[in-house]
Formats: sequence, structure tokens, C-alpha cells
Amino acid sequence: MVVGELAHECDVIIIGGGPGGYHAAIRAAQLGRSVTLVEQDQLGGICLNKGCIPSKILTQSAEKFTSFQEGENWGLEGGGISFNLNKLQQYKQQKIEQLRAGVEALCQANKIEILNGSAFFLSEDKVGVEKGDKFDVFRFRNAIIATGGTPEKPPWARELSELVFDQHSISDLSEIPEKLLIYGSDYIALEIGMAFQALGSKVTMILDDGKEDFDFDQSICRELKRILKKKKIDIVKNSEVLELQHKEDMFTVTFELKGKIETISGTHLFVSTTIRPNTNQLGLSRIGVEQCAAGFIKVDAQSRTTQKHIFAVGDVTEGPALAVKAIKQGKTAAEAIAGIQSQSDFHFIPIVAHTQPPIASAGLTEKEAINMGNDIEIGQFSMSANGFSTLAGKKEGFIKVISCKEKQVLLGIHMVGTGAIELISAGITALEMAARDEDLIFPNYPHPSINEGLLEAVEALRNQAIHIPPKSKNEQKLKV
Amino acid sequence: MEVKLHDIGEGMTEADINCFLVKPGDAVKADDPLVEVQTDKMTAEIPAPRAGIIKEFKVEPGDTITVGTTILILEAAGHDGIEKVKVTSHPANSPKLHEPLESFAAFKGKRVLASPFTRKIARENSIDIENITGTGPAGRILDEDIYQYLASSQSKPDPVKQKQAVVTETLINPPADKEIIPFRGRRKQIARKMAQSLSIIPHCTHFEEIDVTGLITFRKDLKILNQNISATAFFLKALSICLKEFPVFNAVLHEEKEEIHLASEHHIGIAVDTDEGLIVPVIKHVENKTIREIHAEMKQLTEKAVGNKLSVKEISGGTFTVSNVGPLGGSFGATPIIQHPQTALVSFHKTKKMPVVTDDDQIVIRSMMNISMSFDHRVADGATAVGFTNRFAELIQNPKMLVLEMV
Repeated sequence: MVVGELAHECDVIIIGGGPGGYHAAIRAAQLGRSVTLVEQDQLGGICLNKGCIPSKILTQSAEKFTSFQEGENWGLEGGGISFNLNKLQQYKQQKIEQLRAGVEALCQANKIEILNGSAFFLSEDKVGVEKGDKFDVFRFRNAIIATGGTPEKPPWARELSELVFDQHSISDLSEIPEKLLIYGSDYIALEIGMAFQALGSKVTMILDDGKEDFDFDQSICRELKRILKKKKIDIVKNSEVLELQHKEDMFTVTFELKGKIETISGTHLFVSTTIRPNTNQLGLSRIGVEQCAAGFIKVDAQSRTTQKHIFAVGDVTEGPALAVKAIKQGKTAAEAIAGIQSQSDFHFIPIVAHTQPPIASAGLTEKEAINMGNDIEIGQFSMSANGFSTLAGKKEGFIKVISCKEKQVLLGIHMVGTGAIELISAGITALEMAARDEDLIFPNYPHPSINEGLLEAVEALRNQAIHIPPKSKNEQKLKV
Repeated sequence: MEVKLHDIGEGMTEADINCFLVKPGDAVKADDPLVEVQTDKMTAEIPAPRAGIIKEFKVEPGDTITVGTTILILEAAGHDGIEKVKVTSHPANSPKLHEPLESFAAFKGKRVLASPFTRKIARENSIDIENITGTGPAGRILDEDIYQYLASSQSKPDPVKQKQAVVTETLINPPADKEIIPFRGRRKQIARKMAQSLSIIPHCTHFEEIDVTGLITFRKDLKILNQNISATAFFLKALSICLKEFPVFNAVLHEEKEEIHLASEHHIGIAVDTDEGLIVPVIKHVENKTIREIHAEMKQLTEKAVGNKLSVKEISGGTFTVSNVGPLGGSFGATPIIQHPQTALVSFHKTKKMPVVTDDDQIVIRSMMNISMSFDHRVADGATAVGFTNRFAELIQNPKMLVLEMV
């Protein structure tokens, strides 16, 4: 390595061009800083190229396929519908390139210098960027580490790691699995499971880590399990996986369930569990940027590391590996660098699953709210009583609102049902504004629309939802 | 790894070890509860930050330890050594207790009831918004609360200026002279009760001047400890102590039976001025409540009063009444009308800085407050009232005296 060369002077250097990195770059440029962005692969990072975007093309496709099958109700007649995965892959590639070109154009318009290569810290104020034989040194004033994370397979799946699909490789499948095994319980596991089920796979989910249930609010979990059962997606819970075998194109997972050894087989195996931060190659230890035991970079609410002029955003930091977190942290870090007192606050980070029907959630679950000592009230409204959901033939799901009995302040909003992901934003805004029930009851809602479901869920807190019949006297007595 | 005591919220600095929920040699999973600790505000379980085997304890049950103290040693359980990252935000336990990463440590802990815009104002002025008490609905922190906090931490607002502002406002909006106010509802109720009281009770009003400098200092000291307690809460507690010693002012005269019934419970009504007129919510059993409880209840009742949400229960049953007109400014005395069939009522007036001659003939500046005490002269006499207000003055002039009366 040649390190004697003159360093290029730069202002803000950002390592990694995923959502965290490019949002940070553009915000820093907007605030008058001069930005150098280093990306070793392609702009847009995992989110655009391998994660969020490709997986949502898959879930969208599954949703369209399902709705075509229901087309007859709408008077749509035609021959049988078939699904061509190759065509979807082409469409996916086209959309990814289109979005990536958009990001590139934006970076260019903001005069962001983009370097292709892998970067690592040489000292507290120097980064080396390597690309093939080329090696350049940059002296920076501020740096933002946005190198992301890599899915890590559980120990029992490591030997066959190449054959097992993870979050990044599943969207590249060239065939619809006949029998898909899924190990995991997060939103990705659910999205993949439901999408492939809709496209024709037989799906079995093994909840990771011996889990008893999914991580959503208890009511959502109950509805989710009902929906999965209806779709004939099997769930294995409370189990410990012991071994994985691969013979004659079949995976066999051996697991222990209630003291008994059982096996399950499938043509494909998808695993969604741990994310390991990409920090190994950065040389952090030599520049005094501290990491916690699991390797995540320690940051504060401004995404500042233990080195005051170096920031870290996204999956390299502790917390859920979600692009929404990376984006917020990226902008916060850029603003902090520009001297603005910004802050990231993830109390109301939305958790969404593009499942059929979709799930969206923000704030405290019922259990969390009670555990934190709140005296709570719950308003719940079933989407089967919503006019628009009914006419659209999307009656599954409900909206659940949790509020503090004493102050009427809303604590959490959980939804399952068509439109949930778009609608949760109204809930998040309300939560951030410290809204109380009246703040959501007072406004006018478009009619007919799914939005009215949120209104009626909040009205249900006061037993005043119009489309919920009054409780019978017996029920009321029971409640007392 | 060392498992340390972290700040588990509310700005705690230390905690007592209640008991261990594991023993050395136990294998634990991430999030398994390890030890129960007790702070002055809550009991909490510290969960395992990761899976492992308990190696040894570094503290003992009963120890009081500060944040950062190592509680026990947790050995990695072999395995893959990589902490599982939850991809959802709904961990079983509060993630505050995970690895000490400030940004996610505070993930679902203390929520600030303020809009993002308000929070930004606080940040831009380098104010820790958690130090601010919200005056908005449900305790929401408003822009004004932040500006007020800023003003009070920089320079005291000029009271003369404030007063002038009020005066100008009234001048700009002079009452329309031919407007008719309906004499119904609360206005009529007030009129009826006042007339009834004055016609039955021979009122006698006694004035007293009280040095509240000590109380102001005391409250400031408490504020540093994050205890923001209103002066009225102290007044109520002091009054309750006085009522215990002079129960005749907490009494009802039954003239026809020729009896004076002394009440042992102190249900003190607080006159609240609202748009609709005077209303008097009652704090029950002041004699059994701490000053903090009185403060909280008073705040809640006042909010309800202003929002016109008081229930009948909350405005009835009073045995004594206070009226704090101090915050309204102005008056240095009044002849308040007793709430029949009660026996007495005390009004607190504006606190002013005054030159006072001390026992050693020095002129010093003290904060003085006048009180007016009306009492039923059929039930009590002037000398008893003087005794009552003297005792009250003593407790307020030196609020430490209140400690001696703690039950």
C-alpha cells in the first residue's frame, strides 16, 4: 500500500451510497458543504438494488396476480392468468435502473463527487480509497460511515450458506419454489412467504429463535395467524433447529419441538435473521471510533460516533435494520455537520410489512404500553365495517388505537388491512404531535375511503364509532 | 462482558439492588431478567443484554449503586458471539436496557409530549426539553413554555412591562357599553350563594402580612431537584396543619340544634376563575396528602375547571375554602365571602418585594404576601383567627417547619 502520496483535500466524505449515505450527501450539499461519496458497488445500496425495491416488486406482483384472480367479481373476463417470473425479473431490473439513474442525477445536480472504490480510515482525518490498482488518499473535515450490514445466517445454515437464500438473494430467484421453507418471523419473512404463496409456492414458516409468536401487537399477531392459516401457510413455533441437510435438490431441516425431533423438507430455504454491520474493513479501531460488542458503531441521537467529527448512520449502527432509520440518521448527521441542532428520534418509527393484507404499526403495542405502567384504553375498528373496504372486496383486517386513559394521549396505532401502509402516516403524525383522541376525531375524512377506518378506531375509544353496534347489556355488565 | 447499571429513565443516578433473579452458572438468553433494582421512582428488572452464562455477582442485594456500576459478569455462551438484531421495533423488554447506545437506548423510553416543531425550538436554544414542564393540554409542552423557560433562565421578566401590556389590552378592547350579559347559569348560582352566605353569616375579615421569601427559596431549591411545586400546594398543606390545631375553622354551625360540628377531614375548596365565572373544585382529605399529591390534584382540578369538565362530586363536600388571587396581580386585601355553611375562607394576595425592618433594625428587601381571612363570627372570635394566621405565617415563613408536621 502506498501511503506517502499527497492527500486530496475534501470537506465531507461519505462512505457508502445506500439510502443513509445518499440522503446524507444530498442534505449536506443542500447545506452548502462539499461532498465526496464513496461507493464500492452501486448507488442506492442494498435498499435499491437488493432489498426494499426488488422485494416490493415481488410483493406488488403477487398482489396484482391475486387481484387478477379475483377479477371476475369486477366483470373482468378473459382467459386464465399465468405468471412469468422472467418477465418480472426484466421489469424489476428496468425499475431498479430507472430509480438508480434518478439518484445519480440528483447527486450530480447537487454537485456531489462520486468515487467508485472501497474506503477505509488511515487516520482520524484521512481515508484511503482503493479501486483496482488505483489508490487515493483523502483528508476530510467530516466523515459519515454508511456502509450498511450483511445478513448473517444462523450457525446451522452456514455450511450450506451458498444454497440458502437471504434478504439479498431471494429476489433474484429464477423459478417459483415448489415448497419454500422460511426461517424467520420479521416483516421480510412474512412478505416473502406471502408473496410466494400467492405465486403458487407451498410455504412453511419456522419462527426463528424458538419464538412463540410474531413481534407485532398481540391483536395483529392473532389476525396474522388467522390469515396465514387461511392461506395454508404452516407455522412452526417454539422449535429449535438442530440441523440442515441438502440432498437431491431438497433441503431437510431437523428441529426439536416439545422434546420431539421432527423434520421438514422443501425445495428452497429462505432465512431472515441477523444483520452484521459492515465495519471489518474500515479500520475503526485505529481511529478511536468505538463499537459495541456486536460490532455496531456507537452513536448518539445526532449519529455522532465517539470521534466528534465522524458520524455513522443506518445498519452499521444499533437498532432495526430499516432504510427509514438510515434515511433519518443520514439527514440528521448531515445537518449536525452543518451546525444545525438536529436529532433523530425513533419512538414512532413505522414497522410495515407489504403482506396480503399489509401490516403497519407505530408506537407502543398494547403489551408495551401496559408494561410501561400506562392505564390504557383501546379502540378497535374492523375494516369489514368500512364502506370502501367492503366495496373493494378487501374486508380483512382492523385498526387498533391505544391511548392513555388519564391524558387521552395516543400511544400506539396498529393496522392490518388494505391501505394500512399509506394510512399509518396519519397515525405517525398524530403520535409525533402528541395527539389526543379528539385531535383525530375532529377532522373531516374523505368518504368513502379506508381513512374512515382510522377515524372510527379512534371513535371506538369513546364507544362512539358509528359502524360498531352498541354492546349488549350483558357485555357491558361483564366489562364492569 | 460486564453488565452495568444503566440509566433506565427519569434521569436516575442510583438504584438499590433488590434481588437477583439468576445465580452464578445460570445460562441466560438475551432479555432474560437478571436482577431487580429499585429507584426512588420505580422497580425495574435489568435484562441480559445478550445470551451467556452468569459468571459472578459484583454487588449484593441491599447495595445502593450508581449508574455505571458493574452489577455482574456475563460470559459469552460460545455460540456465534453475534448479538441478534431485532428487525422489528418491538422487543419483549425495553430496549433501553440493551447495549449502551444512546440513540437506541432512548428508543422507547421517555416520550416528550411536544410537537416536532416545538422540540426543534428547544434544541436550537440548547434546552433539554425534558426539563420543561408543559402547560398545554395533557401536559403538552408548548412553544411558549420553551420561551418562558428561556426568559426565566436568562433574565427575569419585567413585571411592570407585563402589567402595562395587560392594561393596554383592556384599553384596546373596551367593553361595549350596551352589551347585555344573561344573568343565568353559573353567574346566577354565584349570586344566590353569595347573597345567602352574607345574609346568614356575620362576616369578619382579618388581614395578615406574611413573609414568603423563605418559601420562594425553598421552591427554587426544589426546582433544582426537578420538583416543580406550586406555592398554593404549600399553602394548602400549611392550612391543613393550622386547621388541625384550630378545628373551629373547619366546622359547620347547626344553629337550630345549637351545635358546632367540627370536621376531622380537611376538604379544601380552591376558587378558580374561569370564563364562565368562579368555580370551586375541592381537594379531599388534604390532611392525608403529601404536598406533591396536593399539587398534582390541584393542577388536574384547575385544568378541568378551565375546561368546564368538573363533575358535581369534584365541587362538593368542601369544609374550607381558599382563593389565590395573587397570580391575577393587584389587590392587597379583600373581604371574601364565606362559602356557606363553611366557617372560614382565606384569600392569598399578590406577593411583592417590600422593604422590611428586621429585629436588629436593618432594612432588608423581603417578598411579602397579604392574606385576608374571613370567618363566621358566630363560630369563632378574632383572637382565634389571629392565632390561626400567626401559625400559618410561621409555617410559610419557614417552610422547613412543615417537615415537623409530617405524618
